[in-house]
Amino acid sequence: MPEPLLKVRDLTTLFKTSTGWFPAIRDVSFDVWPNETLCLVGESGCGKSITALSIMGLLPGKKMRRTEGEVVLDGQPLLELPDKAMRAVRGAKMSMIFQEPMTSLNPVLPVGLQVAEPLIAHGGLGRAAAEAEALRLLDLVRIPDASQRMAQYPHQLSGGMRQRVMIAMALACRPKILFADEPTTALDVTIQAQVLSLLNDLRADTGMSLVLITHDLGVVASMADRVAVMYAGEVVETASVEALFARPTHPYTEMLLGSIPRADRDVDTLVAIGGQVPAIDAMPAGCRFAPRCFLAEPGCRAAAPALTALRSDERHQIRCRVRIAQAAPEAMRAGAIR
Amino acid sequence: MTEASVSLAAAAAPARRRGAIGTIVAAFNANKTAWLGLAVFLAIALAAALAPWLAPFDPIEQHIADAMTSPNATYWLGTDTFGRDLLSRILWGARISIVIGVASMAAGVIVGSALGLMAGYWGGRIEQLIMRSMDVLLSFPTLIMGLLVVAMLGPSMVNLIVAMALTMVPKFARVARAPTIAIKERDYIEACRALGYSDLRIMFVHILPNVIGDILVLASLWTATAIRIEASLSFIGLGVKPPTATWGGIIREGFDNIMDAPWISLYAGLAVLLTVFALNLLGDGLRDAVDPRLRGE
Repeated sequence: MPEPLLKVRDLTTLFKTSTGWFPAIRDVSFDVWPNETLCLVGESGCGKSITALSIMGLLPGKKMRRTEGEVVLDGQPLLELPDKAMRAVRGAKMSMIFQEPMTSLNPVLPVGLQVAEPLIAHGGLGRAAAEAEALRLLDLVRIPDASQRMAQYPHQLSGGMRQRVMIAMALACRPKILFADEPTTALDVTIQAQVLSLLNDLRADTGMSLVLITHDLGVVASMADRVAVMYAGEVVETASVEALFARPTHPYTEMLLGSIPRADRDVDTLVAIGGQVPAIDAMPAGCRFAPRCFLAEPGCRAAAPALTALRSDERHQIRCRVRIAQAAPEAMRAGAIR
Repeated sequence: MTEASVSLAAAAAPARRRGAIGTIVAAFNANKTAWLGLAVFLAIALAAALAPWLAPFDPIEQHIADAMTSPNATYWLGTDTFGRDLLSRILWGARISIVIGVASMAAGVIVGSALGLMAGYWGGRIEQLIMRSMDVLLSFPTLIMGLLVVAMLGPSMVNLIVAMALTMVPKFARVARAPTIAIKERDYIEACRALGYSDLRIMFVHILPNVIGDILVLASLWTATAIRIEASLSFIGLGVKPPTATWGGIIREGFDNIMDAPWISLYAGLAVLLTVFALNLLGDGLRDAVDPRLRGE
């Protein structure tokens, strides 16, 4: 049985507030397989970014937070790594790009140098060799007139161009996995499409895996191989993209998909999910979605459900006791993801 | 300038290939007053370097018969009470002033900005330790620090440089720390961490270029101040010992006869003034050139 490239198990990140420790994400588990695209999807504040930053070891303030669980990248457990060893992994084996291309480049350094720098820092290349490689990378991310762009500063580049530069930097050391945290949210629609297709082509060409964080289900449908839906800091459903859109099983996913306007179907009313996401220090006991769920039973509020595989599809897992009971009333297989 | 006009301009003009240094030099070239400052300062520095060949006389050779001669064809700037040629003394004095000014500034910039970057970037106890020590140093006015060090270690050029550097370190540390605290929260520093760069690389490759403009401006001002303080210490007899020619010393020697032979103090004073003024012009121009946001590209 092949091993996943990135294995995340029970990842929990707690933040300290004035009244105690509260989990911003809880028991997040998923796998990323080589060369696939996993989309982490969910509304704002559901813990998508915290999940990525926890895996990357990028959350600030060591005294104010705690990360527990297990993260294994390519056989190497990451959470226990000392800072220095973790730095050698970041940018080399695993990279990340961010939402704001306008502010993610250093305004006082030429872009060529910024693209070359990961190669100098990690690859031990000299400046000339690194800049030659940087030129190749800028070509690779389809920046026109790359050799002229090398000496330019970020403010001379458009937003889409800057995001390409960010991608070139992230990919400079040929990482095995790239986290993209809402990489196109700040860009206009045509540029969005270009950047997404660039990411997809680069994934196919380099054999890397892509973890795409988004709240846009249209992006999910066009990019993902598999999807993990997050709600209030937990993964509530994970499935292949086909299974998720064809058979959304968790009530939250179902309502989320029902809330998208569609051009190809005549829908009279869009579903709205009543209520709002609970605050981090006021999470309900039991299932976190229960207060807003149309299926909720008294039992849902008693105990938090575990992520459980459906009987029909081992890799389609949901965190909902009602739906699991409906699907397989005689045999509930809790924790089947292990 | 709007995004559109930038790209239009970029499309219209044949793209020139210029590195970071080239761009800075080009921006500096366009600034005429900065050029004037640089030219004057370089001329003074060159004259100082070439003093042994340029000076018409030995700076400590006494021509008693020609004492207190006003400027004439032989002694272009006149002579002092011992009949020493003033032009030669001012040229030799420039060496002391410029070496002390530049060396103490360099020491202050290197130590001060490194401490400021570390304090600002790491924060916490390290910051407290560094900045409170800086506050202690800062509580001594430059002239008092000069007096203190010279009184303890004796008057010599190295001691003067140490004294001046000690008073400059906290100023550069503060100027480096404040923007570092703001810049370390920027997205591009977060992106650096995501790329696995070490703290030192982030500080010196990514944050330093953002604060170097402020540091350069301050550096030129403090080179000027160091030259001025050195003259002050020499004026009160705590600088480099006579008979070595120093600008402060010449002003002091001329002070007793300022009514009869005003040129003695006047020309040495003008040398100090010109150097300080040139450095200030240079600093302003450097700031505009280093910061791409002020270049108006």
